[in-house]
Amino acid sequence: MQEAAGSAGARVNPDVDSLVRAAQRGDQDAFEQLVRAYDQSVLRLAMNLLRSAEDARDVYQEAFLRVYRNLHSFRFDCSFHTWLYRIVTNICLDQLRRRKVRKEEPAVVETAEGVLDRMEGFEEESAMANPERVTWNRQLGRRIDGALEELTPRERMVFELRHYQGLRLRNIGEVLGTSEEAAKNCFFRATQKMRTLLGDLV
Amino acid sequence: MTCDAVRKLIPLYYYGELTPEEEDQAEAHIHDCAGCARQMEAARSLAAALDRRRMEAPAALLDDCRVDLAAAVRGLGTHSSRRPWRLWLEAVEATLAGFARWRQPLGAVALIAIGFFAARLIPAGSGVSAPSLAPSEAVFVNVRSAQPDSAGRVRIAYDETRRREISGAIGNREIQGLLLAAAHEEDDPGVRVESVGLLKDQAGSSEVRDALLNALLHDSNPGVRLKALEGLKPVAAEAPVRGALSQALQFDDNDAVRMQAVDLLTMRRDNAMVGVLQNLVQKEDNGYVRLKCEKALKEMNASIGTF
Repeated sequence: MQEAAGSAGARVNPDVDSLVRAAQRGDQDAFEQLVRAYDQSVLRLAMNLLRSAEDARDVYQEAFLRVYRNLHSFRFDCSFHTWLYRIVTNICLDQLRRRKVRKEEPAVVETAEGVLDRMEGFEEESAMANPERVTWNRQLGRRIDGALEELTPRERMVFELRHYQGLRLRNIGEVLGTSEEAAKNCFFRATQKMRTLLGDLV
Repeated sequence: MTCDAVRKLIPLYYYGELTPEEEDQAEAHIHDCAGCARQMEAARSLAAALDRRRMEAPAALLDDCRVDLAAAVRGLGTHSSRRPWRLWLEAVEATLAGFARWRQPLGAVALIAIGFFAARLIPAGSGVSAPSLAPSEAVFVNVRSAQPDSAGRVRIAYDETRRREISGAIGNREIQGLLLAAAHEEDDPGVRVESVGLLKDQAGSSEVRDALLNALLHDSNPGVRLKALEGLKPVAAEAPVRGALSQALQFDDNDAVRMQAVDLLTMRRDNAMVGVLQNLVQKEDNGYVRLKCEKALKEMNASIGTF
């Protein structure tokens, strides 16, 4: 089922399609299997975009409840993955836009286990390295987070889906309800901004 | 192809998003141009640095999300395990519906009085200064008896209640006093829901906290108890509050109240709760509450059952 989740743009996937049809008939087990096939990547997307466990949790809940309520209206005119990601990206974009308005961004990542330093990954990896290296990694991490925050919500979304989620730009266009060309332009703008902001670091 | 044109294509080239023709042209140029080759290398380094900011969702978070979703989905289908906010809405709707019915005149001779608490609690001429006091025209009568007299006429005895309205900030003592009184308004669950709802952000005051604890433990209306729980959330770490939450978790007959109570109690690790949680795992009917208890016990490395 993990493969099913990875086949982003596939229009025909017999396993997923039969699960969707069963869930549409009210089969709760099928719905749960569908959720479990995709929920890890949904949560990861939300975590990466919003950098807050609490917000990611809200996105997860809202997205899958919308799926549950509206599954009957899914007509297989795109892959289930695309349909699901349309829902998830809409919810995340709303959150990002609200945040842009409020100019808020959590400085640290909250998790169920407590507050997690966004640099933790760097420091763990560098635990054996010298202090200069740790400091450099910390600076780099902060610069990257700062640069990502400079992107517009849509640029951030396209960049996230391409770089971190590995979706093709054609699929990203489909998910965001736009053309491949528009997704390509948006992605290009995002990479240019990143280069401008981080060019001196690489 | 010029260097400018190639440099525009480099990000797309790196991510494999060029057409085969564009890719060929870019590769040929990069092969022969040291400047563009460096740009390509920079794109690779940037991507590698970005890779290191990739976040994975903690497994515990995924588990929590799944438990929440399962409870929410079950709640959409069955009455017994609905999510708290849904149950709260239903409780309020039911309360308000009952309230509305109750306000209808019950018969031709009796007008039922809705005794607005303010009218009884503010002595005439007390001159509430901060809130604006404005008598309204509404007068409610409560007919006590209606009997024919010897002259063939009808004799009616009634109580009269005049409605007044005051308004003021939530922190105003008069307003808070009225709300605390209204939280005990025995005959009117609608007023209790509204009052406790307004008081819930004032749990810092010990008087309000006592009223919220009292509402949680003794109010007959689940909507009021849920509002009280919301208000107690910021002070959920305090011993008397934890005691009341534990009581609600064990003995409240409303699923939503128990679900909220277990959420508040398990927000922090508390070894004193082990016995209560173990007992609940055995006897609790609500799946969400049971799962939360099991999860809290696991986090405390306590056994799930009492055996």
